[in-house]
Amino acid sequence: MKLVIDEIRCKGCNLCVLVCPYRIFQEGTELNDRGIVTPVLDRPERCTNCRLQPLYGRLLCGVCQMICPDQAITWVDERPFEPHKVEVEF
Amino acid sequence: MSTTEWRREDRLPHIYCSGCGNGTVINCTLAAVDEMGWKREETVFLSGIGCSSRAPGYINTDSLHTTHGRALAFATGVKLARPDLHVVVFTGDGDLAAIGGNHFIHACRRNLDVTVVCMNNQIYGMTGGQGSPTTPPGAISTTTPYGSSEPAFDLTELAIAAGANYVARWTSYHVKELTKAIVEGLQTPGLAFIEVRTQCPTNYGRSNKMREVSDMIEYLRSHAMLVPKYNRLIAEGKPIPEGTFTVGELIRRNRPAMGVRP
Amino acid sequence: MSRTEFMQGNVACAEGALAAGCRFFGGYPITPSTEIAETMARRLPKAGGVFISMEDELGSIAAVIGAAWTGARAMTATSGPGFSLMMENIGYAAMTETPCVIVNVQRGGPSTGQPTRAAQGDMLQCRFGSHGDYSTIALAPNSVQEMFDLTVKAFNLADRFRVPTFLMADEIIGHMRERITIPDRVEITRPAPLLEGKLPFEAGDDRVPGFAPFGSGRAIHVTGLTHDERGYPDTTDPEAHERLVRRLVAKVESARREIADYEVVNPDAGMVFVTYGAPSRTVQQVIHDHPDEEIGHLRLRAVWPFPEFALDEFPDATVFLMPEMNMGQISREVERHVGQPVVPIPKLGGDLHTPAELLRAMEAYR
Repeated sequence: MKLVIDEIRCKGCNLCVLVCPYRIFQEGTELNDRGIVTPVLDRPERCTNCRLQPLYGRLLCGVCQMICPDQAITWVDERPFEPHKVEVEF
Repeated sequence: MSTTEWRREDRLPHIYCSGCGNGTVINCTLAAVDEMGWKREETVFLSGIGCSSRAPGYINTDSLHTTHGRALAFATGVKLARPDLHVVVFTGDGDLAAIGGNHFIHACRRNLDVTVVCMNNQIYGMTGGQGSPTTPPGAISTTTPYGSSEPAFDLTELAIAAGANYVARWTSYHVKELTKAIVEGLQTPGLAFIEVRTQCPTNYGRSNKMREVSDMIEYLRSHAMLVPKYNRLIAEGKPIPEGTFTVGELIRRNRPAMGVRP
Repeated sequence: MSRTEFMQGNVACAEGALAAGCRFFGGYPITPSTEIAETMARRLPKAGGVFISMEDELGSIAAVIGAAWTGARAMTATSGPGFSLMMENIGYAAMTETPCVIVNVQRGGPSTGQPTRAAQGDMLQCRFGSHGDYSTIALAPNSVQEMFDLTVKAFNLADRFRVPTFLMADEIIGHMRERITIPDRVEITRPAPLLEGKLPFEAGDDRVPGFAPFGSGRAIHVTGLTHDERGYPDTTDPEAHERLVRRLVAKVESARREIADYEVVNPDAGMVFVTYGAPSRTVQQVIHDHPDEEIGHLRLRAVWPFPEFALDEFPDATVFLMPEMNMGQISREVERHVGQPVVPIPKLGGDLHTPAELLRAMEAYR
C-alpha cells in the first residue's frame, strides 16, 4: 500500500506530523498550488499500514488518517504489491 | 464499508479552518457508525447551528441541519416518529449549552435514544470567537477581552444530572478512545452524550497563548486525566492541577429510554 | 356512515387532524388551545401515533418538523405567546419546504394579554412573522364544523405545496360547542414523491419539489441555509438565493386561485362586509335579520395567500366594511386591491361584534 496526502484537501495543520509514531510526516517547506504548505513524507514505506495491511487484511495504526481533520490521508493499492525491506527505528 | 462511503466526497474539502478538531470528530463518528454496521438509509444525522453543526452536510445520509440550539428537539420528532431510524446529533458548546440548554436537559430527562456528539471548543467559532458558556474563567475571547469572569458549564455533569444513560468525555487528540466511546454510545439504548474537547486554533488558541495547532493539542493531551486516576487523587486527598478535566466513561446506567428501535 | 355529534371547536380540530391521518403531535399547554393537545394525547396513541408534550413551543414546532421529515403528518397547536416563540422554526419550515400544520387559537395580545378571550391579532404574524421573504397558507374557520373541515384541508394544502400551513382559529370558535357532522373518511392528498433522477429541491412547473422523507434512501441534506437544488448550502451566490426565495414565494402566491376558499352572499350588493373567522357569524346574523340585497358578504376561509380576485365578485360594491377582532390587519390588504373606501371595524377586548354595532357602522355609509 502507498501512503498519499490529498493536496486538494490538506490544509497544512501538521497534526499528522504530531501523531505519527514513525515520524514519517515531516513539516513541509514549500507552498503548493493552493498556497498551503503540506507535509512531506519521509520514507513512507516504513509505515506499518503500508507494509502490513495486505498481510493482515485490515487497517493497522491509522492514527494519522483518523486525526486528519481534512480527510486528506489515504492508502492506495500498489500493484503489484512487493514487501519492502525496511529498517524500523525506535 | 469504510468511512469513505459515509462521506459526501463531492462536498470536500470542508469549511473548517486549518487544524480545527471538528474534522477529526467527524472521522471518529463515521468510524464508529461504520463499525456498528448501520445502513446509510437507516441513519439520520442532525445538527443545530455553528461550526460543529456543518458536519452533517459532509455525511452521505439523510441529514437535518436545523436552527440554533434546537437539534435535539428536531431529533425528538424524527426519533419518535420513526424509532427504526438511527439518529446521531452533532452539536457544539454554544449550540448545546447556551441557546439549546433547555432542549438538552429535556432530551436527557426523556432519555431519547439518540447519540449526541458535542464538539466543545469552548468558544463561538463560527461568529469569530465570542465567549460561550464553556469558556473557562480567565480565557480571552472577543467578548471577554479582560478574561472570562463567569464560571463555565461542565456539560457531562449536566447530562448526568439530567438523566442521560451514557456519558463520556474525550478529546480530538484521543482518536481511538473517542471512537470506542462513540461506539459505546451508539450501542447504549437511551441518550448517549459524548463530549469531545476540540481545538479551535483560529479563535481560541490565537487569543489564549496557543498560537499553533500543536500547542492546543498539547494542552488537551496534558490536561486530560483518566477518570480512575482523578478519583484516586481525590481519594488520596492530593491536589488536582488547575485546568484538568476528566476523560473516559463518566456514567453508564439503564434508565428507561424513549424511541428505542423496536 | 357519518356521525353527528355535539362538540367543542378545539376537539373538532383534533378529530379533523386524526381523520386526516395526523400521527404526530408536539405541543405545549397554552390557553385557549390546550383541548387540542389534550384530545390528541388521549386519542393519538390509540391511533398508532405519537403525542409528546415538549419543553416549550420552540421545541414543539421543531419536533413537528422533525417528524414531518420522516413522512408523518404532523401538527402542533398554540396561541399567541407560543406562536411568537414558533416564528424561528416556522421560517425554517418555509425554507426547508416542510409540510406541517400549525393551529393558532388566537387570544388577546400583545404579550400575555387575555388568555381566555378571543382575538384575531396574529393574522399578519402568520404571514410575515418570521424573518426574510416567504409565503404561507392560512385558513380561518368560523364554526366547529369548519374546525374539523379546515384542519383536514390544512394538511392537504401543507402536503400539496410543502409549506407550513396555519389554521387561524380564535378563542370563540375554539371553545364554542356546536353540532358537527364527522364523515367516515376524508379526502387526503399526500406530497408528490421525489422522482428518480430529480434533485431533492428541484421543482417542476408548479415550483413544488418532490418529497422523499428520511429513510427512503435518497440521502437528502436539509438545511435552513440558502441551498441549491441538491440541498447543499450555497450562501454566497446571489443568484442561488434569489432563485430559491422567489420560488418559495411563487409556489404559494401563483397558486392563489387553487388555494382560494371563500363564500359570497349577495354579489350585487353595494355595501359589502369582508370577514374571516368569528366576526363572520355576526355578519351572517345581520343578513339573517335584515334580508336586504344591498348587504353583501365575502367570507374568506383561506386568508393567505390573499385572494384579491374574490373582491371582484362584488362589481357594484361602493364600500367594503371589515369587522375584525384586531386593529384592521386584513383591511390594509383589501385596501391595496380596491378603489372603493375600505372601512375597518376593529373590535378589541375579546367580545364579538354585536349586530347593532355592525348596523351602526352600515348606517354611517348608507
